[in-house]
Amino acid sequence: MSTSREHKKYEEFEFEDFVADEFFVQWVKSPDENNLHFWQKWLLSNPHKKEVVAEAAGLVRSIEYKEDFEFSDDAYIEVFENILKADQEEAHIPEKSPIKKSRWYTLLSLRSIAAMLIVGFTYLILFNFPQSPDIVEEIAWITKENGGGKKRVVHLNDGTIIHLNSNSAISYPERFTDSLRFVVLEKGEAFFDVAKEERRSFVVQVNDAKVAVLGTSFNVNNRKGKLAVALVSGKVKVNDNQGNQVVLKPMEMIVMEETGLISKQNFDLIQVTGWKDKYLVFTDDDFNSVVQKIESWYGVKVNATGMNRGNWAYTGLYYDESLENVMEGIAQTSRISYKIQGREVYITK
Amino acid sequence: MNNPSNQSETTFISSKHLETIKVFDKKSDYDIWNAFDQGDEMAFNYIYRTYVKDLFQFGSQYSCDSYLVKDSIQNLFIYLRKKRGSLSKINNIKGYLFKSIQREIIKNIKTKASVETLEENLFENHFLIEVSPEMNIIKGEVETELKLKIQRALNQLTTKQRKVILLFYVEELSYKEIADIMNFSEVKTARKIVYRALASLKELIKPTSY
Repeated sequence: MSTSREHKKYEEFEFEDFVADEFFVQWVKSPDENNLHFWQKWLLSNPHKKEVVAEAAGLVRSIEYKEDFEFSDDAYIEVFENILKADQEEAHIPEKSPIKKSRWYTLLSLRSIAAMLIVGFTYLILFNFPQSPDIVEEIAWITKENGGGKKRVVHLNDGTIIHLNSNSAISYPERFTDSLRFVVLEKGEAFFDVAKEERRSFVVQVNDAKVAVLGTSFNVNNRKGKLAVALVSGKVKVNDNQGNQVVLKPMEMIVMEETGLISKQNFDLIQVTGWKDKYLVFTDDDFNSVVQKIESWYGVKVNATGMNRGNWAYTGLYYDESLENVMEGIAQTSRISYKIQGREVYITK
Repeated sequence: MNNPSNQSETTFISSKHLETIKVFDKKSDYDIWNAFDQGDEMAFNYIYRTYVKDLFQFGSQYSCDSYLVKDSIQNLFIYLRKKRGSLSKINNIKGYLFKSIQREIIKNIKTKASVETLEENLFENHFLIEVSPEMNIIKGEVETELKLKIQRALNQLTTKQRKVILLFYVEELSYKEIADIMNFSEVKTARKIVYRALASLKELIKPTSY
């Protein structure tokens, strides 16, 4: 599909062409490695189409049945049983002897009990996947929250280590259940170094999306309505509330925009996870982004006057550096002046 | 389910069952259907698990009588199991099941209501569309208003058009399968319906640029 001819075909596309295109809809509704790769590449070479693509994707995703008809768990099992029962009856109608018949009935009922157990249990696993922490209500939940300028490392009792960034919060149960390790990133950013366990998945819930892993390290950033999951090692599955699922390989990152756009990309390790090792990283950051990072990292308020924010960008790397040294570094290369007074920073041109 | 003596055995079967489901997840519809045809119970299990909810949702668009829809699904699977060994080869299970359940339900409805009533209802308010609030293209105060406008526009389409749209966006069926379900002689008819219906929404979404 990702031939240059296909690539070219979409250049002429407008809103109505995108929404009526099978491959486009497939990408929006069921992103997989194949279509993600194509569309991500295509958008990179056609940046002016970003807006119309976002509009088209938004509409595609918003269409639903007006009336939802839930197929209940009971119905699921009942219909399944009746189907199996029917071919038992079919097969044994010729059996005329009443003794044999009663024996068949015994077998039959045993079989339907077994079927019910199998279905019932499978059902529990596949469909009643915990939606929220309520499922372990008798276990107390702990929340750790960092304000601006504060980071911390949280050690969970399964051996998992969580680095929690500033302006971030995480909740987890006092102890995990036997079947699942479930934590919630309430806001902000965290780096997870998950202790490997074959039997218990580790699931991070962020808004409505879930990140499921089996022992791995990865970064989750949920700020300004944008969710980014970057995988350093192991394997990670990301499910959003639309039913989309993306599997990440090491050094891949998935970004879910507020507009509903999902893209998979590679990432720079230090840029994404450097914060946990005390690296403050700026990569071609615009003025607002630099201000946000400094405010969050040092827990200060930045006030700027007379800045032409439009064509300003800064790149720099600082290891465990003081606010003064970082401000000095930025000032030297970026034509700005600054003044630090207590917890306030003043920037002028 | 509550009998503790059965618990360990159940767990064992289930995990094995889950493994099998994972195996089927990687196979093509053609192969899964073939396995089902040859009597593979896990293949049947997989097909039932994967499609029964969609079948119920789709079937319920024809009739709110949940017993009728449930019976129709049950009859369809009983019929298919009976025909194992001589089922035709198919490349898309969902499309095939949708076409079949539609036939089964219409057949069952007809025995209970007159065709006229059925048609009338079908054209009136079946296959209605909801534009969900997750729609991100619109922000701020106008959101609800615009969402309703789009929803109203879509629901003013004919039942046939709405059905095509739902099969395309919600059920994620290809134009080929939709044409098959709708009895269109040409695949491009399905695409035309989607294209025209959605093109008319363009003006609602971005009135300034067109």
